[in-house]
Amino acid sequence: MSLHPQYARPRSAAQAVELLRGLGSGAVVIAGGQELMPHINYGRLMPSVLVDISALPDLMGIQDVDGVLSIGALTVLRELKKNSLVKTSLPLLSRAASLVGGGWQVHNRGTLGGNIVAMHPLYDIIPPLLVLDAEVEILSAGEVRRAPLAAVISETSLGLGQRALITRIFLRATPPDFGWAYEKLKITEGAYGSANAAAVVAMHGGKVRAARLVIGAVSEQPIDGGAAVESLLGRPFDDHIAQEFEAACAALVTQPMNDQQGNSRWRRAMAGVIARRAISVAVSRASAQQI
Amino acid sequence: MAANSDELLLEDTVLLQCRVNGQNREEVIRPSASLLDWLRDDLRLTGTHMGCMTGHCGACTVMIDGKIAKSCITLAASVQRKQITTLEGLGQNGKLSPLQQAFWDEAGFQCGFCAPGILLSAEELLRENPNPSVEEIREALAGNLCRCTGYQSILRAVQVAASRMRPSSIAEDK
Repeated sequence: MSLHPQYARPRSAAQAVELLRGLGSGAVVIAGGQELMPHINYGRLMPSVLVDISALPDLMGIQDVDGVLSIGALTVLRELKKNSLVKTSLPLLSRAASLVGGGWQVHNRGTLGGNIVAMHPLYDIIPPLLVLDAEVEILSAGEVRRAPLAAVISETSLGLGQRALITRIFLRATPPDFGWAYEKLKITEGAYGSANAAAVVAMHGGKVRAARLVIGAVSEQPIDGGAAVESLLGRPFDDHIAQEFEAACAALVTQPMNDQQGNSRWRRAMAGVIARRAISVAVSRASAQQI
Repeated sequence: MAANSDELLLEDTVLLQCRVNGQNREEVIRPSASLLDWLRDDLRLTGTHMGCMTGHCGACTVMIDGKIAKSCITLAASVQRKQITTLEGLGQNGKLSPLQQAFWDEAGFQCGFCAPGILLSAEELLRENPNPSVEEIREALAGNLCRCTGYQSILRAVQVAASRMRPSSIAEDK
């Protein structure tokens, strides 16, 4: 903690983690700054060293390697929205990035990696990444490892730690016969989401063949909708089933949040509403692919 | 530059070199300074307004390499060798830019506090999309709050600017 942090601008990711290894817990990695700068401005965060990774070339760029997109951690939200590879291969992620609050200013600076490490329960990016089975590449001194995002955020043994960097995010392209949806509920345009849901669905003969759902912004951790989705398999998504499904999704929220975005009872109910909406849109998109 | 590439020094200050409104700038800054602090306090470019310092209001919006950013939540040290455009860089030779003129004509400025940020956001929009729909204008201005709440005249001003700035506008007006 320091009133006057020192500054370092490493020239490579390897140099950045080498530096982090030698620094104490007061060192803070900064990229777009959209999450950290408000805390620094108000003195809630007083780093001893700012490690500026915003210009590291090895954390940039988007490549398609045999149907898997490798996205640099410094890729900004605006790029996820506009990049043609992301738009065609990962429309769900592209859409979610375009709905992040704060306007183009934040979309132009806020990074994919920063959205992950912020681990903010109300943010938009983690639910779609989980639905898409994202893997992250983590660099720490002398070691590169690749792990499912779901494991990184839920298990402390696999967690990021203070001396590592997320360098790249890997996502398999969504097959063209899958429908997708990202739905978000907000009380006002500028507000954080009160509930969000990311979904992908495949249909066969008017019935749900496969589906994935993650619900965000209703509890501290994103909720895997797997248990509720299972009941949809092999059935059409009609009004009756949708109603049952909505209730089942709401029931998954055992510890709803209670904050400015809404009280806990309402948040649990909205989890069901937004999940139903997401599956419904994804079903329509998947059904349109069938014709 | 250190001769040994493995050697990375922790600096107490940062030598920031960039271009602001077309002019080369070189200043020694505090590492934790925001771009807003630097523009207003050191360069005295006070057209960029300070609102919330949390990134919510957008009054401090500037352009970095042609892309809008909230300067209050941008680390000044991170704009090394970039091109910064502030409100002062929009007009030329004391004349309002076509966008500013449209805001003047359509009463888009109102109290004037949010206007610098909104002008920069509208500037990026019109460079990218010379013929935006109302919905597209709303989306592009979503990061800017106006507490006079006069969004209608702001939307109208951007539409008027767009129609005047389009190359075919002379033909359209007839």
